[in-house]
Amino acid sequence: MKYSVMLAALGVLGAGTALAQQPPIKIGVLYPLTGGGAVYGVPAMTGHQLAVEELNAKGGMMGRKIESVERDDKLNPATASSTMKELITKDKVDIVLGGLASSVGLAMSEVSKQEKVVYISTIPKSIQITTDKLHKYVFRTAANTDQEGDTMAMLVGKNKLTKLCHLELDYAYGNDLEAGILKALPKYAPDAKVVLTLKPKLGATDFNPFIPQVMSAGCDGVISGLWGPHFVSWVKQAAPLGFFSKIKWISGGEIGSHEIAGELKGDYPDNVISNTYELWYTSNDPSHKEFQARLAKKLNTQETPQWAVLGYIGVMYAAAAIEKAQSTDPDKVSAALEGLSIGTPVGKLTIDAKSHQANIGQFWGPMVKKPDRAYRMMEPAEYIQPK
Amino acid sequence: MPERRYLIASAVVVLLLALLPLGGSRYAIDVATEVLIYVLFALSLNVLLGFTGNVSFGHAAYFAIGGYACAILLTTYGWPLLFALPAAVVLAGTVAAVVGYFCVRLTQIYFAMLTLAFAMLVWGVAFKWKEVTGGDDGFTGIKLPAMLGHYTSYFWFTLAVVAAAIAALWVICHSAFGLTLIAVRENSVRTGFIGVDTRRMRWAAFTVAGTFAGLAGALFGMYHRGMYIENAYWTESAQVLIMVLLGGIHSFVGPIIGAAVLYLLQIFTNQYTTYWPTVLGLILLVIVLVLPDGLIGLMARLRAYRQAWRRP
Amino acid sequence: MTLTMFTLNAFYGLALAMNMFIIASGLNLIFGVLRVINFAHGMFYMFGAYIVFTVTKSWGAPFFVGVLAAAASLAVIALVIERLMLKHLYGKEHLMQLLFTFALVLLMSDAAKMIWGTDQYSVGYPQGLGGAVNLGFVVLPQYQLFLCVVGPLIALAMWLVVDRTRWGRIVRAATQDREMLAALGVNVPMVYAAVFTIGSALAGVGGALAAPRVALVPGMDATIINECFIIVIIGGLGNLWGSFLGALAFGFVVQFGTVWAPNWQDVLPYLLMLVVLIIRPWGLLGRPEST
Repeated sequence: MKYSVMLAALGVLGAGTALAQQPPIKIGVLYPLTGGGAVYGVPAMTGHQLAVEELNAKGGMMGRKIESVERDDKLNPATASSTMKELITKDKVDIVLGGLASSVGLAMSEVSKQEKVVYISTIPKSIQITTDKLHKYVFRTAANTDQEGDTMAMLVGKNKLTKLCHLELDYAYGNDLEAGILKALPKYAPDAKVVLTLKPKLGATDFNPFIPQVMSAGCDGVISGLWGPHFVSWVKQAAPLGFFSKIKWISGGEIGSHEIAGELKGDYPDNVISNTYELWYTSNDPSHKEFQARLAKKLNTQETPQWAVLGYIGVMYAAAAIEKAQSTDPDKVSAALEGLSIGTPVGKLTIDAKSHQANIGQFWGPMVKKPDRAYRMMEPAEYIQPK
Repeated sequence: MPERRYLIASAVVVLLLALLPLGGSRYAIDVATEVLIYVLFALSLNVLLGFTGNVSFGHAAYFAIGGYACAILLTTYGWPLLFALPAAVVLAGTVAAVVGYFCVRLTQIYFAMLTLAFAMLVWGVAFKWKEVTGGDDGFTGIKLPAMLGHYTSYFWFTLAVVAAAIAALWVICHSAFGLTLIAVRENSVRTGFIGVDTRRMRWAAFTVAGTFAGLAGALFGMYHRGMYIENAYWTESAQVLIMVLLGGIHSFVGPIIGAAVLYLLQIFTNQYTTYWPTVLGLILLVIVLVLPDGLIGLMARLRAYRQAWRRP
Repeated sequence: MTLTMFTLNAFYGLALAMNMFIIASGLNLIFGVLRVINFAHGMFYMFGAYIVFTVTKSWGAPFFVGVLAAAASLAVIALVIERLMLKHLYGKEHLMQLLFTFALVLLMSDAAKMIWGTDQYSVGYPQGLGGAVNLGFVVLPQYQLFLCVVGPLIALAMWLVVDRTRWGRIVRAATQDREMLAALGVNVPMVYAAVFTIGSALAGVGGALAAPRVALVPGMDATIINECFIIVIIGGLGNLWGSFLGALAFGFVVQFGTVWAPNWQDVLPYLLMLVVLIIRPWGLLGRPEST
C-alpha cells in the first residue's frame, strides 16, 4: 500500500522520472540463431528488434520501456523448453514470442501452459498448437498448415490439374500440410487424383532416389512442401532433365519469397506457383512501404527478407494486447488477445477468440522472369487471407 | 579412512542441496534439477567409458528410451509413477543389454560406430512411430502425480533419486566387479589370462550404463513434461561424452563435476552470446592440449604442486 | 519395376555413390595413415562448397578455378591445423584426437557464420555440364555423369600413388610401423602432415564438386559427415577400395531402399552399417585390428 502511494507520488513528480523509475516491460523471444535454422531465425529476429526499437522510440507501452530478452533456441525443443523457463523464472519476462520448428513451438506452448505465461507462436505452423494442444495462453500469428493446404488445393483446382504427384518432407510440417491439402482437395478439385506421394527426409540434400520416380509417374502437377534449401537442391538436380517444363509446381513453404528467388536467380525454374508472407516490392497495405523502408535501412539492402515481418507482427501483437489490457498479467493479456484486431504491414489482422489463430494471409502467385532483373518476381501476387 | 571422509562429505553436499529451496530462487531450483539429471546421465556413461575404456557414440538412446517409456506409461496408460518409473528403467536396461550383446564383440572405433548405428535406429523409431511417441512433434503434456507437480517437490524427488542412484553406482564401481572392469580397461589380454571373461564384463558394464541413463532420461522427461526425438540424436550422445571427458574419466567424481560445469557454462554463455560453439570449441582445445585428465586431473596437479611448495 | 526405371535408379545410385566417395576418400586416407578420426571432415567439405561460391559468384571466376581454389585453401588450412596442434596429439589416446577434431567443427562452424553469414547460397553448374544427355531410353544429367567419371578417377589416382610410387610405399609403411619407419631415416612427421593436407584438400574438392547440386546452408556438414563415416566403416577403415565399395553399397542401398521403403530413408544408411558390422565386424574389406 505504502509502496503504491510512493509510486503515485513519484508519478506526480514528473512523467520523465516516472518513465525511468518504472520497470521495463520484458518480452522474451527465441529463434534459432545458429546451425541450420539460422537462415530464417536471424531475419525473424531482425524484424523483432525493429518492432521493439520503434515502440521504444514512441515511448514504450503504458509509459514503460520495452526490453527484449533474446535467446537462441538452436532448433532444439528441449533447449527451447529450458531456455523459456529461464526467461520466465530468472529474467521475469511478461510474454514470450518466437520459435520456428513445429516441435519447438509445441515445447514452448507446453512451458507456457505450465508457467501460465502467454506465448505467441510467430513462425511454427503445426496445426496442433491451435487445435489438440490449444490452451488459454498460446496464440499464433503465423499461418497454419490447414490454411496453407486449403490455398494449395484451391490452386490445383484453378489450374485444372488432374494427375498429381505429392512431395512433402517427412516430418511434422510436411505431414500436417499433406493432411491439410488432402482435406481440401475434394472441395476445390474433385477430379484431381494424387498418383504418387513421396516424402524425402528433412535436411535431405540429395534427391537422386526421388527424381526418377516423379519423372516417370506422368503427373501434370506437383504439390510440394519442400521449403528453402530442399527446394533449391531439388531444382538443381531435377532442372537439367527438363523436369519443370512438363509440370506445374504448386508449393507451400514460402519458396515464392525473395530469398529463394534472389538466391537461385537464373536457375529459378518455370511453372512455379508459390507463396510468401511478404514481398519487398509489393504490398496490400499502405503501411507496408514505411515498414519496408525501415527494414531496408536496418539491413542495408533494398531487397529485404520476408521472415522479418513475422518477428515484427509478433511484437506488434504483444504490445497491442498489453496496451489493451493495461496490464502485464497473463490472464488479462490472454483475454485481450482473444478477438484482437491490429493493423500490420500486411493488412489488418484479427486473432480468433476461440482458436487463438490470427487470420494472416500470404501472397500467392506465379514466379515470372523480369527483363530488367536478375531474379524472378511474383506476378501477379494475390493476397489470400483465410475467412 | 578416506572412504568415511568421502561418505560424510557426500552426505553434507546432499543435505546442503536439499536446503536449496529454502534460500534459493525458483530459477536456482530449476537449474539445480537439470544439473542433477545431467550428472546422473554423465555418470552412467562413465561406467562404460571410464571403467572399461569403451567409447559409446550412442548413449543418448538409453536416455531417450527411459524418458519416452516413462512418459508414455504415465500419460498414455495412466500408470502410477511407482510402476512407470521402474518399468521405464528396466526397459532401458533391457534394450541396452540386447544392443550391448552385439556391440561388445567389437572394440575401439567399430564399437563406437555400432553403438551409433543402434542409437540412430532408436531415434528412427521415436521419429516414425508417431502414434505412440508423437514423432518429431515430441511427446508433450506428460502427466505427473500431483505431489510432484510443484517445482520444489520435483527438485527434492530428483535429488533423492539421483543421490540414491549415485550411491548405487559408487557401490557398483568399487565392488569386485568395478575393479575387474578397470583391469579390463588397463589390459584386457592379461585380464583374460587370469580367467576373466572380458567380453561378459564389458557387456555387464554396458547394461548398467544403459539402465542408469534410462533413469536419467525418465527424470528429464518428467521435468520438461515432454520428450523429443532430439534427445536420442547423436549430438546428445556427443554432449554427454564431452561432459565426462571435461570432468575426467579416471575418477568417480570427474563426470559429476564435468556435467555440472558444462551445463552451467552453457546456460551462462547463452545469456550473453550466440557463439556457444566457439566457447565449447575452445574448452575442448584446452582439454586436449593442456588438460588430458579433465578438471579432476587439473585439481590433482594443483594439489601436488601445492604440497611440493609446502615442503621445500 | 521396368527396365528403364531400373536403369535410371541404378545410374542415380551410382551417381550418389560417386558423389559420396569423392568426399569420403579423404576421410579414409587420413584414418588409414594417421589413425585419426577426423570429425571436421564434413566442415572441410562445407568450406569447400562455400569457397567455390565466393570465387565464382563474387569474383566471377570459372567453376573449375573455384574447385582448385577450394582444394588449395583447405590444404593450407589443414597444414596450419596439423603443424600447430594436431601433431602434438598423435601419441595420445584416440579419444583426445576425436575431441580435437570435434572442437574444430565447432570453431569452424562459427567462423563460417562470421565469414558468410547465415543466408543460403547456390552455385551454378559449370559451362556445358548443366544439361542432360539423351541415350534414347533414358535421359541422364550431364553433371552426374561427370561425377561418375571423376569418382573412379580419384580412386584410381589414389591407388596409383599409394600402391605404385615410392612415396606411396612410405605412406603404407607409416600405417604399419611408425617407429620403424622413423628409424630408417624417413621424416615421418612430414609424411603425416602431407597426408592430412591431401586428405583435407580432397574434402574441399568434394564440397566444391557438390556445390552446384545442393543448396549451401549452415549445417550442411552435419548429415554428410555421418554418411561419410558409414561409408568408410562399412568398407573397412583405411582401405581405399573398401571405401569405394562402401560408397557403392551406400548409394545402391539408399537409392533402391528409398524406392521400396520411402519412409525409412533416414535410417537406411545406419541399418546398412549395423548389418555389415554384425556380420563382418571389420568392414567389407577391412582386417581385424591386432590388439
